[in-house]
Order: sequence, then structure tokens, then C-alpha cells
Amino acid sequence: MLFNQQGPAETSVYMVAGYTVIFGFMLLYLVSLIVRRRRMARDLAALEAMEESGAQSNSVV
Amino acid sequence: MNNKPRLLSILDVVTIVLLVVATGLVFLYAPTEAVMGQVQRVFYFHVAANWVGMLGFLAAAVCGGFYLRTAERKWDIASLAAVEIGMVFAFIGIVTGSIWARPIWNTWWTWDPRLTTTTIMLLIYSAYLMLRSGIEDPDRRARFGAIYAIVGFLSVPLTFFSARLFRTIHPIVIGTNQPGAAGQFDMTAAMLQVFLFSLLTFTFIFADLLWHRIRLGWMEDRVEQLKMKLNA
Repeated sequence: MLFNQQGPAETSVYMVAGYTVIFGFMLLYLVSLIVRRRRMARDLAALEAMEESGAQSNSVV
Repeated sequence: MNNKPRLLSILDVVTIVLLVVATGLVFLYAPTEAVMGQVQRVFYFHVAANWVGMLGFLAAAVCGGFYLRTAERKWDIASLAAVEIGMVFAFIGIVTGSIWARPIWNTWWTWDPRLTTTTIMLLIYSAYLMLRSGIEDPDRRARFGAIYAIVGFLSVPLTFFSARLFRTIHPIVIGTNQPGAAGQFDMTAAMLQVFLFSLLTFTFIFADLLWHRIRLGWMEDRVEQLKMKLNA
């Protein structure tokens, strides 16, 4: 289809779609890393506090 | 663990700068291909994304091998990180390939050997993540994961060489195209420069994301250890 024409084909829409996918997914992955890191930091802080309080109560006993 | 290393901050900045420059080169420096038109520009980041995908799976297999030798947690964390990034970029590669194919092959999808092997490769690594999520014991999970990452890597060279070994319509950038390949083009010097720069840029993106994902992996590992300790 494309190879019988004069001059480049009008395919700009597909180029825009392609780069939207590329940057969109890269951004999504980056956001997922940030969100997971924040969640892990919160969990880690809570667990470390629990561990510390557990260790203190053991030392009192 | 929470303090970001200075080198990682530098890598972040370098990677962003490279990505901006590469994007500029793709849209402002690379010439418009004579037949395909603007959609050919997808090629630069499409190939680069697939490169990162394969690089991720290679890194996962290598880290898997190191884990089996040393049984050190760091190799398991790195292996998982590499697979995750590899999957994201292999997926980007397959979607952008489909978008390129619509005007060039007149179809979004065809069961061509390259497309089929790429899909199989993605499914193999999806199964890797499922396998890991199904095993609770961290050591057992790491051991199985390492073996799977090494065996699963067989799908990567098969995917890479599929366009060279089998009759396919998928164009080959480096080497000789099959007679039936549709959408091939002669790369000009400017196109080659942009292509190589894109590969370099995406290699930096891979390194940067891998480092961030490994840091997250260490936190996940610590959380898991604490949960096990508190539940014991």
C-alpha cells in the first residue's frame, strides 16, 4: 500500500501514538517505583517500631 | 539504605539529559524516511526498548547464576529487579512495534516468528513473577527464581535470531533482510547516529532504573525479614 506512492506516507498519528506509549509506560513505571518505595518506607518504619517496643518489653520482663 | 547515593543522583541527571537529547535528535535531527514517513521515527526507541528488555533478561540470568554460586540475597534482589525492568521495556517494544505495523503491514498484529517469539518470551517472564509470588520461603524462592531466570533466558537469543533464522516479514536493522521483509529501509548516516545514541540513552535508563529497583528490593527484603521475625 505504502510502497506505490509518491513521497512519504502521512503516518504522523502513529508516530504520536508510539511515543505516547513509550513515555507513558516509562512514566507509569517510574510512578510505581516511587509509590512502592513510599509504602515500603512506611511499613519498614512501623515494623521497626514494633520490633523496638517488643525488645523493650522483653528487657523489662 | 534511605540515603540516596550521590552517584545515583548524578546518574539520574545524566539519564534525564540523555533522554531529552535523544528525543530531540529523533524529532529534529533524524531525517524523515522517504516511504514510511513519520512513523519510522518510532523505530529508534522501539529497538532501544527491546534492547533494554533483552539486557534486563541477560542481567537476570547472570545474577541468577551468581546467586546459585554464592546464595547471597543481593543477587536475587538484582535478578528480580532486572526481570521487572526487562518486562516493562519488552512490553513497550511489542506495543510500539504493533503501532508501527499498522500503517506499514496494514495490520496491528500477525503471528510472524519474531512477534510470536517475543510474545512467548514475555509470557515466560510473566510466569517467573507468578512463580516467585507463589513461594513463601525466601531462600527457596530465590533458588527457584535463579534457575528459572537462567533457563528462561533461552527465549532471548531465540527471539533475537528468529528474524534471521525463520522466514519473516519483520525487518532486520543489522544484517541481511529476508526476501519477504516489509518495512525495511536504508539507514542514512544521521539515522545511524540517532539510532546508536538512542541505544546508549536506553542503556543509561536501564542502569538508573535497575539501581532504583534494587534499592526498593532491599527495603522489601528488610520488611519481609521483620515480618517473619515478628510472626515467629
